[in-house]
Formats: sequence, structure tokens, C-alpha cells
Amino acid sequence: MNARQRIAAAVALQKPDRVPVAPLLDHYAATYAGYTCAEIMTQGDKRIAAVIKTATELGPWDMTFLADTANATLLQMGVPIPIKLPGRDLPPNSTHQFNEVEFLTPDDYALLERKGFLLFMMDVMGRLKPEWKGLRAGIPLVKTMLEYRRHAKMVKRQGMEVAVGFVHPGILYEWFSLGRGITAMSADTFKRKDAILTAGKVWRKGMVNLAILASRFVGVPRVFIGQSRASPEFISRRNFETLVMPDLEYTVNRLVAAGITPIIHSDTNWTKFFDLFLRFPARKCILELDGKSDIFKAKEILGSHMCIMGDVPAELLALGSKEEVLDYCRKLIEIVGKDGGFILSSGCSLPPNAKVENVRAIYEAAEKWGWYS
Amino acid sequence: MEEHDGLSELGRALADLDEGGVEHLVRQHLDHGMSPEAIINELSAGMAEVGELFRQEEYFLTELIYSGDIFKNAMAVLQPLCKTAADGKAGGVVVLGTVQGDIHDLGKNIVVTLLECAGFTVVDIGVDVPAQRFVEAAVESQAVLVGMSMLLTTAFDAARETITAFTQANLRDKVKIMIGGSVTNENVKQDMGADFWGKDATAAVDIARAVCQ
Repeated sequence: MNARQRIAAAVALQKPDRVPVAPLLDHYAATYAGYTCAEIMTQGDKRIAAVIKTATELGPWDMTFLADTANATLLQMGVPIPIKLPGRDLPPNSTHQFNEVEFLTPDDYALLERKGFLLFMMDVMGRLKPEWKGLRAGIPLVKTMLEYRRHAKMVKRQGMEVAVGFVHPGILYEWFSLGRGITAMSADTFKRKDAILTAGKVWRKGMVNLAILASRFVGVPRVFIGQSRASPEFISRRNFETLVMPDLEYTVNRLVAAGITPIIHSDTNWTKFFDLFLRFPARKCILELDGKSDIFKAKEILGSHMCIMGDVPAELLALGSKEEVLDYCRKLIEIVGKDGGFILSSGCSLPPNAKVENVRAIYEAAEKWGWYS
Repeated sequence: MEEHDGLSELGRALADLDEGGVEHLVRQHLDHGMSPEAIINELSAGMAEVGELFRQEEYFLTELIYSGDIFKNAMAVLQPLCKTAADGKAGGVVVLGTVQGDIHDLGKNIVVTLLECAGFTVVDIGVDVPAQRFVEAAVESQAVLVGMSMLLTTAFDAARETITAFTQANLRDKVKIMIGGSVTNENVKQDMGADFWGKDATAAVDIARAVCQ
């Protein structure tokens, strides 16, 4: 099997020839390739060179991200709060960090409803970055998408799959949680339910249309959907079912109907909501876990419904020994990978201070224990 | 005072996240001559009920944070009326900060809110805090517990340096150190030589209670 067939088999819950390997790569590419984080965040050619070097030399992996989450332009367009960037606000070898201020206001729910998705996004981008005010954000957006498509082709020529054609920043509750801040969003959860629901319908339609368009343009039939603050660590099941699940189901169903596989990237502990994911179309989605959820419970509940991807924890990759990483990967392969439907990956991004031998061990584990036949 | 399940009407309003009800009842109690200290006691009982509901997994972080916000708004009205500034702050002093190189403050702020609601005096020294600033803040406030938050594995070295700074200042026996944040766990705690790992905000409050007793 080639990489594309291996990933397709895992998503369809069939047994590929071997467990596919696809760590979530962003800033670690800079570490491994000898660039600074500032360089790969702002210079596309160095970013893609670092991605290809890392994914081929420490694998070859079956699938890699294009360090999307270390792309300064994409981040600044997708995240509704100021971002501190290495080389500008932080030392060149730092990772970027979100400056969690209350950037979006309560009026932004109504503004989104009144202006519609595109005009609202232009308004927010203009507030975040005045040089992108109005239509001026269009130029960096088009340049970035063209670059992204070129980079995707470069990775495919190496025989690897590109993980995603678009990074969907999450349904409205997630995106506003970042922009409003957790304190304000906690109050909104109880005081502004109607506003969240109404604005959420505008957001979900606009963002999924953009995701489908971008994914087709790039030529990668997978879309990342970010989620963390709607997890059962933050909100109750009742609030999740009311404020989040309708938008998430709409988004997943629209993507699947368009022939796109959603990679539902779920940070923090989602274990208590796993059963709700049975509502997503069967054999069409990937649930990506970050090491905080119980991935073995995910296999029990969702193993016959959706592909599971994860989850070598960041702290293990940074502090653990190679033997510990191999042991953990073997356990993942033998339990979560049993009978297919599994992609071996890091828990969220590979940390920039991961030990090289630990990252290499992920692929080595798949080669040693991951063959099905 | 009307009681609901062992709570006063005000305590119940807070536990039910009834922000308008809390504002109304605080004002009504003051108008009726009730002491601010007695009102704070009722609010504290309401917060304790919120904490209990969180432990029972009926409430989640949004409920905890929102109740903390309602509590703080009420305290902004009541504290200036208290006879002594120390009222309601009997729990001890805790210094909290996010270590150098990391500017995430979400987890830290949640812990600050819960510790304050539990009656601790919290010295919040912010984010991206150098090791020496942790030491200075602990000395100035006479804190017996210092909390270091981190969301990045690259912040581990800064956390280790902070613990070393306490050792070099001959304070390691006097000050307990807890760590927290999504990249931390028991192994990370042991690796860097901290005393406690708080797996979530309520665990941090439990640690503070144990240390400050």
C-alpha cells in the first residue's frame, strides 16, 4: 500500500498493511532542520524544506501537516486575539503564543449576524491588524493559499499525504472562547445563549463554505477542525448539546457530503463526550486526541465508528526515554490499532524540545509492531 | 434567614449562578442592616456548594468561573464595607505566576479565581515571570506556597531554574512549590523537584488548604 491507500483504509476502518504514521508537525520542524521558529513562521520556503526534511528523515511518515499551525499568516487570519510572534515579540527560537485578552466584545455576536460571515471576518481582521483592513486581507490570503497548494504538491511528490487542506478554527463557541477569553465566555454560556446560537448558525455556514473551497483549491480532501474549550473539562453535556453539537454536526456533515474527511482535533479531555461522536457519519471522520483524553476508551466506544489518531504525549516526547516512547507506541498499536482504524501520531503538536530519538521512535514503533499481515 | 438545602437564599442564588439574584440579595441584606461579614459568609457557603457540584461533575469549568465572577462582583461591593481588610482572607498567602518564556494565563487565572473564592490571598505575578521575581514575591508576601503554571514543554527549564532560585535563596524548606498546566503531570513534578502537581484548579485549592493549614 502507498501512503494514500494506508490513510484511506484507516479512515474506512479497514486494516491497512501497516499502521499509518502522521505526527502533528509545526515548530519541531524548525528544531530538527536547524532553522529558528521565526524563520519557519514567516518564510514559506524554509517552512516547507523543514517539513519535508523532518517527515522524510524521521520516517518517512505516511502523512504530514505543512506546519500550518506555525504559519504566521494563517494563524493571524484564523485566531481572534493578538499573537506574539518569535522574532518580533519573542526571541527567534520561541514558539508563538496567544495573548489571551478579551478582544471580541458581546456586540460581536450581533455584528456577525448583521454583517454576515465574510464582512464580519474582514472587520475582525482589520481590528487585529490594521494593514489588513477591508479588502486588503485578500492579498495575503490569496498568496498564502497559492503557497499552500504549491507546498502540498511538493510533499505529495515525496510520496507522503498532506494532512489537511484547510485548518477550520472550530465552531463559533470555540472561536469566540478564544476571542472573548474564558472568563467572559463562561458568563456568555449562561447569559448569551440565544446570541451564541443565532451567530453560530451564520458562522458555521460561512466557515464550512470557506473550508470546502480552500480544501478543493489545495487538492487535499481533509479538513482540520480545532476544538478544546467546548470539551467536558469546560462545559456541561447539556450546554455542549445545546451550544456546540448542532454546529459541529452541521460542519462535519457538510464536509463529509463534500467528500472531505474531517480531522476533529480535540485538545484536553473529551472522554465524557465520546458517545456523542457516534452521531457523526460512520467511517468518514478522524478523531485526533492530544494525550489528555482516554484514547483506549475512545477505541472501545468509537472504534467501530471512526478512525482514531494520536496520541504520544508532548511531555513524554520532551522528557521521556526512547524506550518509554516505544513502549507507549506499542501499546497504542496493539490496543487502539487492533483491527485497523488507527493513525499513530503525537498528542497535539510535536513539542519543539522533543528528543530526536523519541520522534524517530514513533516511526520505528510502527515499523516494528504495526504490520497487520 | 430562609434556608434552601442548608444554604441561605443568597448562598443558593450563587450556587444556582443567578447573577441578578445575588446582586439583589446583597443589596437587600445591606439595606436591612446585615453585616458585610455575614453576607460574605453566605456567599462563601454558596461557593463551597459550587465546588461540591464541580466535584460531583454536575458543574464544569464554565460554572466555576462564572460563579467566581459573580462572587468577585459581590465582593467588590462588600469588601470596602468590611471592618478589617483581612476579613474573608483567612486562608493564607499563595504566589502564582506563569514561568518565564510562557505567556499563557488561562489556567493560572482560573486557579487565582478559585483560590480567592476559597479565602486565600493570592499574589498574581503574571506571565513570563523570571525565576527571581517568584522568589521576591514569596519573600515580600511571606507566602508559604508558590504555584508555577506552564503550557509549554519548553517552559520546563524555566520552572527548574525557578526552583533552583528558591534553593539558592535558602527558602526551599520554607516555601512549598506546586506546578500545574496541561503539559505537567506527576513525572514532570518529580523531574523538576516540585512539591505538588495540581491536575486541575480544584486540586490546586486542595493543595493550598493542605499547605496553609
